[in-house]
Amino acid sequence: MRETFALVGFFEILMVLFMQWEIYTKKIITTFSISSYIIALFLFYLGIVQNSPYVIALSLISAFVRGFFIPWYMKRRIVRDHWREREIKPVISTAMSIVISLLIVVFAYVLYRITFYNSIHLVEGSIPMALLLQGAFLIISRRNAFIQLIGYMTMENALFLFEGYLFPGLPFIVEAGIVLDLIGIIAIAGVVVRMMKNSSVEMNESDELRG
Amino acid sequence: MNYIYTLPMFFTLAASLLCLVKKTYFEEVVSIIAAFSTVAVAFIMVFLPSYTSHYLYIDGLSKIMLIMVSMIYASTVMFSTTYMKYIDNPSFEKHFYYFLMNLFAFSMLFTVSVNDLGLIWVGVEATTVTSALLVATENTETSIEATWRYIIIVSVGLIISLLANIFIYSVTGTLNIQQMMQGVQTNKILVLGAMMAVIGYGTKGGIFPMHTWLPDVHGKAPAPVSAAFSGILLAVALYAVARIMQIVNVGTVKEFAFWLGLFTVAVAATLMIVQKNYKRLFAYSTMENMGMMLMGLSLGKYAFIGAVILTLSHAFAKSSVFYLSGNILARYKSKKIENVKGVSQRMPFTGYTLFFSALAVTGTPPFGTFIGELLIIYGILKYFPLFYALLVISFLLVAFISINYKVGSMVFSKPTDTVVTERKRVGTIVPIVNTLLAFLVIFFVPQINQLLSVGMIK
Repeated sequence: MRETFALVGFFEILMVLFMQWEIYTKKIITTFSISSYIIALFLFYLGIVQNSPYVIALSLISAFVRGFFIPWYMKRRIVRDHWREREIKPVISTAMSIVISLLIVVFAYVLYRITFYNSIHLVEGSIPMALLLQGAFLIISRRNAFIQLIGYMTMENALFLFEGYLFPGLPFIVEAGIVLDLIGIIAIAGVVVRMMKNSSVEMNESDELRG
Repeated sequence: MNYIYTLPMFFTLAASLLCLVKKTYFEEVVSIIAAFSTVAVAFIMVFLPSYTSHYLYIDGLSKIMLIMVSMIYASTVMFSTTYMKYIDNPSFEKHFYYFLMNLFAFSMLFTVSVNDLGLIWVGVEATTVTSALLVATENTETSIEATWRYIIIVSVGLIISLLANIFIYSVTGTLNIQQMMQGVQTNKILVLGAMMAVIGYGTKGGIFPMHTWLPDVHGKAPAPVSAAFSGILLAVALYAVARIMQIVNVGTVKEFAFWLGLFTVAVAATLMIVQKNYKRLFAYSTMENMGMMLMGLSLGKYAFIGAVILTLSHAFAKSSVFYLSGNILARYKSKKIENVKGVSQRMPFTGYTLFFSALAVTGTPPFGTFIGELLIIYGILKYFPLFYALLVISFLLVAFISINYKVGSMVFSKPTDTVVTERKRVGTIVPIVNTLLAFLVIFFVPQINQLLSVGMIK
């Protein structure tokens, strides 16, 4: 199991690094969808091994909402407006994103070793931590609402990977998964779509939102 | 008789479902009936003993929160009946607004009633789901941008608190509040989990450094939504922090919370000086009060009672301030302080009520906020050197001057137009009632103390 977790974690980190460096929104969405499917598959396997219906339910939610529904919905919106496929001006340049995202992986490992490792004693626990920080960096470093939402859901994926592997049996985790995904759905259905109607998916600085 | 403890949740949930029926004024009538029924049940509950079951944990603190949430919910629904008419191009139909408002109230009532830290998390997160679209009711680009910031920042904060719950569970093996109240074995992971919970829930409570969504949302949300956010939502988030600190009763966590509270007060008071938009000014005032509450919760004993009194009194006063800001916006069509002149002459009821409610939110006697802040400062003096108490007092003074000077300039300045444009209607009366309630809280201090110590009023 440890080897499988490490392998899944390795692929997840590779994929999130790709997302950090990529500027085409569609490719980022596809990568995120694949990473969600991989996590869902791992959770499903974990649920079977541990005989935990909670973890199996979580894997099915992950596959449906984050693997299929949200990426599908985002892509459908992008197809309608081709010119929005590429984020022209990211907050942090691509070159700088590459450097920072690599440093985040190292930082997550060091942070994990000096804090949680003392109690958890599993070195691969640093993988979800790296994914969490990468998700946060994706939110900070981009203006595109779709990519910010993917950053948020990357954090969510990391959390479920962390919980499923290290702390199985958390009683309310399915409810938590549903509510977190609802936020994603509401964000996309209620906010992003309307923003697109108002001509821009980019988050703008407004005078009314300063100070 | 135990079913009575679930009635507030039942009323709000049933009302939200009924609001889906499209019928003229039906959603308003249903919401008002549900809101006042909730208030009635919440008051009955204070005379009943504390109740604990597998799912519910209703002690004195929960009962006070239930009263507060239900009363602000009721006043917000009442105020909405007039205010919604002023929104030109709403994002959705009126019945959907009430559907969301009732669900929002349900999620808050659920949060303060459940017997599980995990379910508290679900409740707090559900408030984001139900309230996110309410922020964007006015359907402008900036309100949608504010909603987006709200969703992203608050959700990241709540991911931190979910992680905190996982850590706490890994140590205790349960998230059941009643079981954990009997004592938990503390270790580094538990302390770390509790500290993360303070940051995570603190994000929703407008606590520094994750407060940045708060002024945006309060600035852009419609007045009744701002009132509900400021008065009760943030307090509900701090309720989760209070529960965590009751369970993980460790000095490090409390000290951490105290410093976060102090920084919050400092940052909010400083930023208030430069505010030019009155809704954002009131939002920073909320942040300052939340900082004080967090300090009170962390200090415990008298300061804890002070924090509860402050929470209750602030909820009435601040909701009143936001209702009034909605009335002013409807007349002056501007959120800039410099554009609002002579409110006391053009809108006498609104003007004078705003003046008194601004005094209330800044902790002026004889309002309940004064008693609350006094008890918190007493707590600071007890555990910290005099310097810290003086520091907090100086920040409170800055906040007091900033708000009252700016409100004074809006209320008592010379108007550009002397025509009285105010009508006596629900939207004018509701803020007056809430300001009065912010004062009346002082007469119920012994009952609040009794509720917190024995769980009921005998």
